[in-house]
Amino acid sequence: MTDTTDHEAKLDLVEIAAYRYREGRLTRRGFISAMAALGVLPALGSKALAGANELVVVNWGGRPTEVLQEVLGDTYTAATGVKVIVDGSGPSGGKIRAMVESGAVVWDLCDSGMGTAIILEQQGITQPIDYNIVDRNKVIEGTAYSNGVGNYVYSYVLATNSKMLGGNVPKTWADVWNTKDFPGMRTFRKSVRGMLESAVMAQGVPTKDVYEVLGTQDGINGAIDMFRKLRENIIVWGSGSDSQNLFLQEEVAMGNIWHTRAFLLKDQIEGGTFDISFDGGVIAPGVWVVPKNNPAGTEEVMKFIAHGQDPALQVKWLELIGSGPINPAAAALVPPELAAWNPSSPENLATQILYNDEWYAKNQQAAEELYIDALIN
Amino acid sequence: MPRFSDKFRYWALVLPALAIMIVFYIWPLLGIWVISLNEPVVGLGNYAKMADSNAVKTSFVITFRVAFVTTIGCLILGYIVAYAISNFAGRVKPLMIALVLLPFWVSVLIRSFSWIVLLGRSGIVNDALRGAGIIDSPLRLMHNEFGVVLAMIHVMLPFAVLPMMANMRGISSSYVDAARGLGASEWTAFRKVYFPQTMPGVMSGALLVFVLSLGFYVTPALLGGGRVLMISEYITYQIQEFLNWGLGSALSVTLLVATALVIAVAARFVNLRSALLERG
Repeated sequence: MTDTTDHEAKLDLVEIAAYRYREGRLTRRGFISAMAALGVLPALGSKALAGANELVVVNWGGRPTEVLQEVLGDTYTAATGVKVIVDGSGPSGGKIRAMVESGAVVWDLCDSGMGTAIILEQQGITQPIDYNIVDRNKVIEGTAYSNGVGNYVYSYVLATNSKMLGGNVPKTWADVWNTKDFPGMRTFRKSVRGMLESAVMAQGVPTKDVYEVLGTQDGINGAIDMFRKLRENIIVWGSGSDSQNLFLQEEVAMGNIWHTRAFLLKDQIEGGTFDISFDGGVIAPGVWVVPKNNPAGTEEVMKFIAHGQDPALQVKWLELIGSGPINPAAAALVPPELAAWNPSSPENLATQILYNDEWYAKNQQAAEELYIDALIN
Repeated sequence: MPRFSDKFRYWALVLPALAIMIVFYIWPLLGIWVISLNEPVVGLGNYAKMADSNAVKTSFVITFRVAFVTTIGCLILGYIVAYAISNFAGRVKPLMIALVLLPFWVSVLIRSFSWIVLLGRSGIVNDALRGAGIIDSPLRLMHNEFGVVLAMIHVMLPFAVLPMMANMRGISSSYVDAARGLGASEWTAFRKVYFPQTMPGVMSGALLVFVLSLGFYVTPALLGGGRVLMISEYITYQIQEFLNWGLGSALSVTLLVATALVIAVAARFVNLRSALLERG
């Protein structure tokens, strides 16, 4: 089984956050005061120091590391007195494995992906999540695994610029494939991730049956053929910033991009003509994994994960860098103007499917080959 | 001062560069050959997979086609420039040569981005054409082979101009004068007397541009929109997206062999020694 975790998506969050930071939208002080206003910092130092006095959480670097420090780390320290250090050195499956096998584990909690979580569990590298402490009802259904639990989400969504479409905006993937009624260039990722699903839906398959259809070679070939038909109208995006540029420079009128990039575009494209639809979106979670023999001990780390499930904290995460709350209950706290941009609101969840890592582990490599062939041959 | 033999001096001068080439170029290159044969399993699996793949075949076809068209474009434009500089430039000759060399000082990346600014849907060219009322909706000038070839010709042009100019500099004007004196028209004198003498320059320019174009990466990646997937981009894709070093290496080796074949075939028609080593 190959590691299917989409590290690019994670690194993209880093870039986005850096952008927000440069824009001046994120300040540490503003953030702390917002926390206080939300009542997230009620019990400053009221709890006794107990057990471990340090917790090392690892993610993928850049601004999200700072955001994670501020949103989850500092608030946890405030509530429990346990110091939290967020380290952005990138906890790839290989690194976690090397650490556990060498017996020198210094990480307590790692921001990983479903694919990696599954592999690490099979290899016996990670600990089971203690669902007596962590609430499995506080994550989106399907993201509570035995050795990993969801921490935030990002989605592949249908993005459109109505200005370029003369107000005639495609609503479904079938519309995106209808070049007669919806002329203009489209953008898709230079990878099948999150893309084949949309091609299957464009054929009229209900969202719940998408992976069933993709389970057969005929289904895969059918989806690939959809791209062959559409290719004269396709410009591909390689990185998240590519997708953003294609919309900004009006090279494309619609496309299948990460909602986190769309989150930036909504403020950048004038006149509010940029919009997204989560209808037919593919939602993918980030996943917490705990290495075996973590230094802070199992209980402490589980408490931290549970702390991070707090809906108010999750909303803050969304506001700062667009990462979607993993806790569906957070939706009620999302400011109204951001509700439409929240991938895990009940309305948006209902119309999306969950990214299926098992399918990718089995089929991705062969499918990528066919996908490239369809685009260029 | 001690006296060294000529042989010793020769090696003393050559050795530092040779050592660097061996350690940092030849050795890793051999490593690529080895990887292509033993990852993920020992054998010719990567090459078999490559031969099976339609995407790889198409990518090779695209690579050679783009390189070929770029070469032709560079030769035609470059010949005109070289001819003008060599025969008519006069006092402005140093300026014109400087203008040919100027693009070398700007990185390929920046030049490619400039083309994006020019050729984009709302780029300068489209805006100007629309403003002038010549077109209603923007033309698709990039994210296709046209854009890639256009930008590549721009990047490669100096590599065509310089060898041809060097060659033309060595051609005496007395041959054309003699032909004219014997009654040949200007065109005939050019076609039958001047042009054949420039063939070595043309060939060395062609070879240089073609071989460099085969391995081109930046421009097609930026201007191709994913539809003009040249082999070097495909190699990057295999290695970065899939950590598939085996197949990536096999593709590299194949590109290297294909390039060597092109040179070998060219050697049958061109005197490589005079084309590449003895300029002007």
